[in-house]
Parts: sequence; C-alpha cells; structure tokens
Amino acid sequence: MTEPASLLEEIRFGYGPRAGWSLAPGGVEPDRVMAQLSAPDPDAAVWNTMGMADRFAVLIEAKRRKVEGVTGPPLPDMRALARRDEIAFVTRPASARLGFVERLVNLWANRMTVAITPGSLVWIASFRDDAIRPHIAGRFADLLKASLWHPAMLIYLTQNSSVGPNSEIGLRRGRGLNENLAREFLELHSMGAGYDQADVTELARLLAGMAQDETGRRMARRAVEPGIKTILGETYGEGIHEIDRLVETVAARPETAQSVAVMLARHFVQDDPPADLVDDLARTYLRADGYLPPVYRALLAHPAARQPALAKLRSPQEYMAASLRAVGLTGDPQEYKAFQRRGTRLGEVMARMGQPIYRTRQPDGWPETAPGWLTPPMLASRLDWAADLAQLTGDRADPVAQTRAVLGELASPLLLGAVAGAEQRWEGLAVLLGSPEFMRR
Amino acid sequence: MNQLLLSRRAFLIGCSAAASPLLTPVSFAQASGENRLVVILLRGAMDGLDVVRPVGDRAYEALRPRLLAESRGLPLDGFFELHPAAADLMPLWTAGQLGFVQAVATPYRAGRSHFVAQDALEAGSGGREGGMTPARDGWLNRAVGLIPGATPHTAVSIGRDPLMILDGDAPTAHWFPSEDTGLSAQGQALLTALHEADPLFAATFAQAQDLTRATASDRIPRHTKAMSQLGTYVADRLREDARIASFSLGGWDTHQAQARTMAEQMPMLASTLLAIQSGLGPVWGTTLVLAMTEFGRTARENGSAGTDHGTGGMMIAAGGALRGGRVYGIWPGLGEGQLLAERDLMPTADVRAYAGWALRSLFGIEAQALEQAVFPGLDLGTDPGILL
Repeated sequence: MTEPASLLEEIRFGYGPRAGWSLAPGGVEPDRVMAQLSAPDPDAAVWNTMGMADRFAVLIEAKRRKVEGVTGPPLPDMRALARRDEIAFVTRPASARLGFVERLVNLWANRMTVAITPGSLVWIASFRDDAIRPHIAGRFADLLKASLWHPAMLIYLTQNSSVGPNSEIGLRRGRGLNENLAREFLELHSMGAGYDQADVTELARLLAGMAQDETGRRMARRAVEPGIKTILGETYGEGIHEIDRLVETVAARPETAQSVAVMLARHFVQDDPPADLVDDLARTYLRADGYLPPVYRALLAHPAARQPALAKLRSPQEYMAASLRAVGLTGDPQEYKAFQRRGTRLGEVMARMGQPIYRTRQPDGWPETAPGWLTPPMLASRLDWAADLAQLTGDRADPVAQTRAVLGELASPLLLGAVAGAEQRWEGLAVLLGSPEFMRR
Repeated sequence: MNQLLLSRRAFLIGCSAAASPLLTPVSFAQASGENRLVVILLRGAMDGLDVVRPVGDRAYEALRPRLLAESRGLPLDGFFELHPAAADLMPLWTAGQLGFVQAVATPYRAGRSHFVAQDALEAGSGGREGGMTPARDGWLNRAVGLIPGATPHTAVSIGRDPLMILDGDAPTAHWFPSEDTGLSAQGQALLTALHEADPLFAATFAQAQDLTRATASDRIPRHTKAMSQLGTYVADRLREDARIASFSLGGWDTHQAQARTMAEQMPMLASTLLAIQSGLGPVWGTTLVLAMTEFGRTARENGSAGTDHGTGGMMIAAGGALRGGRVYGIWPGLGEGQLLAERDLMPTADVRAYAGWALRSLFGIEAQALEQAVFPGLDLGTDPGILL
C-alpha cells in the first residue's frame, strides 16, 4: 500500500480527500506522489472490466454466430458492459486510491480524445485501460503509438475508411484518403504547430491501411498507399515500422515538448501557466527523450505546484468525484442506488454540468480552463447536484467537520462561518459542496 | 397582456420598412429597436457544396460520384439544388425568406483546424492565422457595445455551453432553463455570499440565480433532450427584451458516410429554423437569421464517402427581413484551376462582410465602426443587399 497523501496532494494532484481517510501532514512531496506511478493499483481488479483482446474475441464470436446462424453459450452483454464502463468515468475516480494516476489517465485520455460514436461504444473503456493507462509513466512516443492504433481511435477519427488512392482497393474502387486522424494526430495529440497541409496529406498517405484486430497491429495490405511520403522533411516508405518511425520523430520535436509542457502546467497549476514552469517542463521533456516521469517530477517540484492558493476550477468529473469522496460514496456501486431515479442518474447530472460522459463535442476534448465550465446553466447544475447530494447524505454528519476534513487549513473563515450558519445539517453540507472553494483545486 | 401583444403587432406593421437603407439615420435608429438578429454557429464545418449543390457547374458531378448517387436534390434556381433532407425549408425559400451565400470564408488560411477556425469565426479576427483577438472577445459582443441603448438583455447566448462570439466587455445574458436547488432562503443567502466573494464565480453565479428564478416555468423535464426545444427558446427570448441571440449546432464534421449524417443534420437545422419562425410569429418579419460555419469542405469527396476540411464555405440566411429566394455570392467554379490548392472551393468574399452589412442594416452600426471595432481590418465593400 502507498502511504497516505497530504491534503494539497489529494486536492491538486488527485480527486480530493475521501471521508474518513487519514492524510499526511505538509504540502506537496514529489517522491510520495511519484511513488503512486509504480505502486500496484488496488482498484484495477474492480474496474478493468474487459481488455482489448477479450473484446475482440466476443465481437468476432458474435459475428460468427450471426453469419453462420448458430447459437452457443451466452456471450457477455457488450451493451451492458458499455453502460458500466461509461459510469466508471465518475465512479472510478471517486473510489481511486491512487489519485495522481487517475488524474493522469484522464488527462491523457482527454488529449487523445475518443468520443462515443456508434462503432466505438464498446471500445471506450478499453482505450483508457489498454492504450492510455499502461503508458502514462513511460515514453510519450509509446503513449502516442498505443492511442493512434487503438480501435476506438481508428473508428472515432474515421481512419478505418481511409484508403490509399493508388492502393489495390483505391485503384479498383476509386476510393481515397480520409485526412481526419492524420490532421488531429499532428494538431491535437502531438505537435500542435510547425507542420502544414502537405504534411497532413502525406501523413494520411502513410497511415492508409492501418488496422488493429485480435492479432494486434497490422496493415491492411490492399489499402496501403505505395511510394515515398515526405513528412516534416523526412521520407517514409510504408508499413507499421515506418509509422512507428514517424511517431518517434514527431514525439522528439520541440513543438511536441512545448505542447505537452503547456498541457501539464495548464491542467495542474493554472489556466495561464507561468512561463518558467512551461519552459522547465519542455526542457525536461527534451532532455529525457520524451520519457514522462521526469517531466511530472519537475512539475511537482516547481514552486507554482506547491502554492496553497487553488487556482484551477474542477471539471464536472473532478467536481462530482470530489464530492462523492467527500461524503464517503466511494466504492460499491450499490451505494449509488439513490441515483437511479430518472433525472438524478450520475450521467445525466454530468451532462447538465456540461460534461456528457464520453460525448465530447469535438476531438479537442473537454475544456482545460475555467471559462469552458462556468456558464450560468452549468453552474446552476453544480448547485443542484450539491443540494441533491447533501439532501441524500447530509442528515448524519457534522458539516463543519466535513469542511475541515476536505479542505483542512485551506478552508477560509468565510466558508467555515457559512457552513456553520446553515439552518440544518444537510444545508450546511450543500453550502460546502456548492461553494467556490470546493469547486477549486 | 393581449393588449401589449396587439399593440406590438400594430407597431410592427407600421414599421415594415424598418431595415430600408432609404430611411434617415434617426428614424433608422428608432426602427432598429424591433429588428432581430440570430447567429447560429454550425460547428464541425458544414459542407455547403452538399447543402446547396452547384449541379449547374459541369465539374461538380465528377467530384462527388458517391455522394450524388445517394440522393437527388431539390431544384432551387436552375444552377443550385437543395439537399433533399432540407425539404421542410422549401416553403421558406418559395416565400423569399430563405437564401444562401456561397463561396464565403473568414480570412483564416493558415491551416484547416476546426478549433482555430471556430475561434476566428467567433472572434471576427482578420488575420490569415485565425484564432482569437488579444481581448478574447467575440464580434457580436463588440457589436452589442455599439448599439445605442443596449442593455444586458439585448443580446443572449442560448445553451449550456460558453459562446465566445458573445463574450467581451458588453454585458450580455446567457439563457437556458435551470433547476431549483430546493435550498432554504438562508441556505441560498449563504451560498450567495460565498460566490459573491470569489471573483471567478461572482458574475456567473448572479446570472445562474437569475436563470433559476426566471425559468421556473420553462424547466425542461430532466429526462428530455433540450436541443429539440432550442428554436422555441430562442424565439421566446427574442419576443421579450432580446434583439440578438446566438447559439451553436454541432455535428457537421462529415469525414465519412456523409449522406447518413446529413440526413440527420439537415432536418435538425430545418426544424430549429422553423421553430424560430413559428415561435416569433409576426416578429419573424423583422428578423434575420445567419447560420455560419468555420470553413467549407473539400470539393472532391474523400475515400470514405465523406469530405475533408476545406476552405470556401456557405452561409445560410433566413427570416422575414431577408431578400431571400436566391443564392448570393460570386461563384468561383469547380473546374480545373478554379479550386484553391486544387482541392477547396475558392472563397470569393469575406463572410464577415455579410455579417457587417447585416449589423449595419439591422442596428444602424456605422461602416467605420464595423471595419475598425467589430471586424478589424474588414473591407465592407459594396452592400450585397441581402436585406429587404
């Protein structure tokens, strides 16, 4: 087991303190936080519902039976599984013991966004568990490769339908390229700047035919575009190896270092992050050849990451998970029974707060800054949630003690006074959960 | 209440020439009090070449063999045809209350990024690089600041999401039905004190409170999708104090199986426009709706029966204030040598100029202010005359 985190670590680098848990004294201790990355995740067995290989096996078997018109022993219900996977977007962070790990998984999964489309539904959780989670403490190039090739990504950014115009299929059926994944890979996942339209088109030529099935990564030979591709001034041939080489090149670019540095600093520290922190992280990234842990460590060691003032607004997911943790709804899904009523289901509440689960509007993912989450309707929905949750759970506890438990010495006298001034217990808890201080991290 | 409605109708009839450029500036300013502008942001890049199909261009059919095999368009003017899934809009077209502007774009040319392009469209920025203004404000907000007598209720953004086009120094409203928390007055007061003390939250909280109070009667049942009612909400606001409304409709990024997606998108857009029309009643007569998108899509269909990011796009215009029933814009052609970079529809006009002339006609904003403050660096050019 890892040792308990401090209050500030739980708030800034996790999903907030859990009711009844002991906290370490002091501020941010980089060693202690970094230890989470190598600790076994005690929650993994509960939440990792089904890996990529098993999902392929079920889908292939279901298809076989349909085609051959035969039956067999019941297969896992993929739709029910997808529903469980979906709500885990909130409940897994709510129960997480390794808060920093969970935050990183969500951060990277948001950078390489996949959203629900009809075909990608069954792949969403596998994307997080098979493509993102194993690589958050490794090299960024490996994270890029795993996410680029995952079935969820190939479906979501419509790569599956891209065909080299001079490939066998392209020539025979007059099919051609689809630039979608090539563009978003360069713009959103990696560099963000420093490439042009020709690079996008050439990359689309290189990627044509990429596929993933039960045997792993492969190239659909008949869709592969033959010939030389010139991307960012380098030439490439064809095949998995050449795509890997491209990803390595892109991951090593200074634009990628800069983009990763801005993302981390903006996510954890403040919307408009200090330039010296960003420089520090970008330099560390390049020095470490794109290995991520030293970059995290540089972030944790920077003074801006240790200041007591909470500059960031929690996203709806972070806010909902933090509030569930604060009231002790942190484990057994049975505990969420109270939220089964139409209109109060966690997924519906998330949608009203502005974050319908796995339904980002666009491939650039959820907002990383406060204005994206602070419209009047979204804020009103947060206050609804605070009141609903407090009414459900707040009849027993002492709200002032709860405030001290989740905010410690960070709680302002104004907040403590307001919580203590409520007419009844649940309203005191509603004031805590609905307060700006609790919405910050 | 009936009295009020009647008198407003009478007033409207009396001002049916409201937007005529022949009116003097003074009467114009008074008249502008009844004009309405709705700006819809079509996120994801709507394929204008599919919505309003240039079948009269000889190159068109060869560029889109798979897409055209899927559906037959509805004749508009002999050169263009309307996407069949927008058939519900034909009565508006026939009535002269629907029109299109082809081959328009923002000045953004540096890439084909949705996100930079959407920022450019909402900011009204002038550079090839696109993106936001230094103040991170939107052109519609800057326009509100120039309308004499504008109040915080003059302009309203509708929906849950933030809308940069209306962000900025001029106070505007944000509207969406909201719930009641069930807290006691004391609990409310305590929360109010906390939010008022935090600058990040204060203004939004105040508006959230107003919303909860004001929308008690229009609350959406918690289990229905609000989108279907969007048009009605917009109309309701515009029948009250609002004169400018804006919202976004997503889902236009049709990289594959475009025919299937458009078969859902076009009815959604049509029903939204028709809900605004019916909700506005007689006020529709002094209303202009502009539906703009961040850029167009490739002239040639891609390898997966879709289209990729392009440049020149199309704007949709509707409303009783519109001189509709026609397709505006200078058609650049789709033939060899006529496309931008051999792939995109060549933009022949700045989409901001059309928005600028609309602001000038509807709200009397001076040309100089439009070219300097609302759309920095814009050359308004001559009036395309899209308003009656």
